[in-house]
Amino acid sequence: MRPFAYTRAKDAASAIKLLTENPNAKFLAGGTNLLDLMKEDVERPNALIDISGLGLSEIKTITTGANQGGISLGGLGKNTEAANHPLVRQQYPLLTQAILAGASGQIRNMATNGGNLLQRTRCPYFYEVSMPCNKRVPGSGCGAREGINRMHAIFGWSEQCVAVFPSDLAVALAALDAVITVRSANGQQRSIPIAEFYRLPGDEPQKDTNLPHGELITAIELPKNRFAEKSYYLKVRDRSSYAFALVSVAAALETEGNTIKQARIALGGVAHKPWRALKAEQMLVGKEATEANFKLAASAEMADAKPLAHNAFKVELGNRSIVLALQMALNGGKV
Amino acid sequence: MKDANKVIGTPVNRIDGIAKVTGKAPYSMDHPVKNPAYAILFKSTVAAGTIQAIDTAAAEKTQGVIAIITHKNAPKLNVKGGLRGGSLLQSPEIEFFGQHIGIVVAESFEQARYAARLVNVTYEAKEPKVDFDQLAKQARVPKDKEKADLKRGDVQTALSQATYKVEEVYETPIEHHHPMEPHATIAEWNGDRVTLYNSSQIVNGAQAATAATLNLKPEQVRIVSPYIGGGFGSKGGQWANLALAAVAAKHVNRPVKLALTRQQMVNSVGLRQHNRQKVSLAATADGKLTALAHETTTHCAINDEFIEPCGDCSKIMYDTPNSLITYRVVPMNLILPTYTRGPGKSTGSFALESAIDELAYKLKMDPIAFRIKNEPERDPSNGKSWSSRTTVQCLQEGAKAFGWENRKPEPRQNERGNYWIGYGVAAGTYPAHQRPTSALVKLKRIENRVMATVELAAADLGTGTYTILTQTAADALGLPVQDVKVKIGDSDLPPAAGAVGSVGAASYANAVNDACQKIIQELVDKSGKQFYVRPTAAQLMHSEKITDYQTRVDSKPLASSEEYSAHSFNANFAEVAVNKSTGMIRVNRFLAVTGAGTILNPKTARSQIIGGNVWGIGMALSEESVLDPRWGNFVTRSFADYHVPTNLDIGQLDAIFINEKDDHVNTLGVKGIGEVGIVAVAAAVANAVFNATGKRVRELPITPDKLL
Repeated sequence: MRPFAYTRAKDAASAIKLLTENPNAKFLAGGTNLLDLMKEDVERPNALIDISGLGLSEIKTITTGANQGGISLGGLGKNTEAANHPLVRQQYPLLTQAILAGASGQIRNMATNGGNLLQRTRCPYFYEVSMPCNKRVPGSGCGAREGINRMHAIFGWSEQCVAVFPSDLAVALAALDAVITVRSANGQQRSIPIAEFYRLPGDEPQKDTNLPHGELITAIELPKNRFAEKSYYLKVRDRSSYAFALVSVAAALETEGNTIKQARIALGGVAHKPWRALKAEQMLVGKEATEANFKLAASAEMADAKPLAHNAFKVELGNRSIVLALQMALNGGKV
Repeated sequence: MKDANKVIGTPVNRIDGIAKVTGKAPYSMDHPVKNPAYAILFKSTVAAGTIQAIDTAAAEKTQGVIAIITHKNAPKLNVKGGLRGGSLLQSPEIEFFGQHIGIVVAESFEQARYAARLVNVTYEAKEPKVDFDQLAKQARVPKDKEKADLKRGDVQTALSQATYKVEEVYETPIEHHHPMEPHATIAEWNGDRVTLYNSSQIVNGAQAATAATLNLKPEQVRIVSPYIGGGFGSKGGQWANLALAAVAAKHVNRPVKLALTRQQMVNSVGLRQHNRQKVSLAATADGKLTALAHETTTHCAINDEFIEPCGDCSKIMYDTPNSLITYRVVPMNLILPTYTRGPGKSTGSFALESAIDELAYKLKMDPIAFRIKNEPERDPSNGKSWSSRTTVQCLQEGAKAFGWENRKPEPRQNERGNYWIGYGVAAGTYPAHQRPTSALVKLKRIENRVMATVELAAADLGTGTYTILTQTAADALGLPVQDVKVKIGDSDLPPAAGAVGSVGAASYANAVNDACQKIIQELVDKSGKQFYVRPTAAQLMHSEKITDYQTRVDSKPLASSEEYSAHSFNANFAEVAVNKSTGMIRVNRFLAVTGAGTILNPKTARSQIIGGNVWGIGMALSEESVLDPRWGNFVTRSFADYHVPTNLDIGQLDAIFINEKDDHVNTLGVKGIGEVGIVAVAAAVANAVFNATGKRVRELPITPDKLL
């Protein structure tokens, strides 16, 4: 790999300062994606600022503010710890399922929560430096648009980029209306709702998120909700484990009798960001929790899909997966 | 068959197991050499054309770089020396994406890799030929005479007259071997002799091809390959990287370590080609086959031909008066395909055994009964008697063990929750051959203990060669297992066959047995005594007060073995569960029943069979190397995209061996099991998917989208 400077940050303030001073520096946390990308010459930082020793890994109940009664996950906590923490397992089982559906045990042991949110797409044209990719080299073209795009987007893509965002964790966070807490160079904390954190590719596919260079994810906050009893993360993939989603669905329901009070649906593997199925959600509120209503909601959402040459199946698969995930959520994980 | 007094046939633990799990077994890159330099290959980024310029100035200036070798300064090598796939830096011509175009040698691997990124290559690119769908219609008759059209009777007439028939096209994609240990070499020169630490399925073959390529005599090249981290055919014939490691070491006058990265494996060491197989079957209403045609279209390299024999199973599996086997091939700008586990039989059996299942369904016959009805008494391809054939036994014993009677003949009749359950069966075969192999046995007596060392240039792919040869020698010499040492994997040892094509166990074990029998006979003759009970090596060494004795044999197949048609046979049973909503498939249970003559070690044999089954399940459900037809690059470059099965994909696996003794195949009755374990696996799974869902998927892999 290219030569780079390595600094082990002492505290968050100095880490942020080091990053702010150098536009080509990157934070190194778990390294499970960044180091792979450096070996492939896709990421070319000239400095790594190691933040793995900063702490910021606590999982706790939020006692003040807007999300009081919810929980906070440290930005540098490991995915495995988040998945298995009693507070998460009891109150946000959707998140546990989503995390455990991703990567492998070894990777989850290394990968951090903040790092997971900032992982890059697995589009093969992004990974192979001899191929055109607007995300890697703006203006070079999109290899996948007219190339092999079975794994690619059906929602929100642009002519410049048809890549999908690979995280499972983020799909559950989108359904749960998580808030990302970041710290800036001036020492201020600010909160970014997950819906504003990610972006569609548009004309600037090199930007995955709206997080400016120099800001550090310190925590992920989960607002209190009533979905714990009726939620399910469904991941459809080419093999049972260690594969990215063809389509994934984070589904959560709050019901009164058999009437849906609230519904949350987010899709993975279909867009440049976790795709919140707002249309389907709105159709379900106040309705009976029946298969027929689930089907109507799913097809309303999927009607807007624009598949590419090799991924038309994702539309039908998305339809079926939304219905199945809602049924699983309703029935406590069983159909 | 197991003999009560012998260790052959018993589940002796793997001799090399402890060394492997404790990291003491050296693989290619682990051998200690002094002051090595590190080399990395860099590769073309176009699939066809000519290199106009290679600018290495920036790369040469980076820290740690010792040398850069391209076609402009590479030594003259013999491109016809026997290394496969070209890429020997002899010309600026580009024949496939990822062809080696140069070597960077540096003080560290990371420095070499970085420098390689800085080499600037300009090409005069040509339109590459990589779109198989477009090119297939230009496919020609193969040059390989073994792939000439094979006709018996009149298939066309039989098909046109038949009421019950199947005429379908089955597709299997490009696959890669991807052994856990990527191809890696340490090259160390000593005067005009080079030692290459390089895992090799054919030790003497690697030696001969590398020597010829480097314009050396075979004795100037030593291959050291005590352990192999998987090969699956890709380490049978050797590839350019082996000679290029020697070239780099000579160039920098230091030992050089050259390892391929996982991403480089897709276009460096061969592949299993895309096969488009048309199978046509016809049968009478009572289920007697009247015609079988198996017509394969595939691709090869631009300037070299390799075609896996997809029609082989169809030649011998079923009795039919009319038969046709053909091959057509089109050159593409892609690396030369090569032998890949169960070459031709794993892919060919997917087509044949799917078609058999389709026809049985049309005939409303049980697919096992249909197969048994068409069982050939003799080898239909040459009229020879079988040395032994166990297809019927495999099917019947398997059916019983698997609970086949619980299968519902009609699809979608068996459901469990949100899953369709299906059962499938398929039968397969692989030829059994013994190849000439020499073996040296040495006896040494120290006080009361007699120890034996057996030496031959054999290969252990990780499948158990060390263990079965220890057992064979222990039996033949009458020594305990712990007093036998096996040395293999070194071209300085007596020449041996390769661990390829299921010939390893038969060739090695018979040679070792011959050598041990010979040494006992020589010691008996030396003693001048008559024995009424066969003496052990230890008794003879003690009674004759001999401290050191050795002998060697050059073992050959039995002359009589040519009179028979010798093959291993199997039948596989699969139970799958298919998610009704998502199409995701899980193989709940898989049973392989194998007839392969004498099973030397049931434990290592079981591992080898279920390993083949797992790859077959991968072939059925998930493995596919995908080419971008515009540029000829693979978009599936790592295990993130090339989906081998994970633990969670594999349910319960079971292996049963038919208890048989084949007296014709060779002295020990060993037929070999390396290849047959993957034969007829994908078909069993695909047939089970049909039984579950009613969907006949004729294009592997059966990913969820194909079942929506």
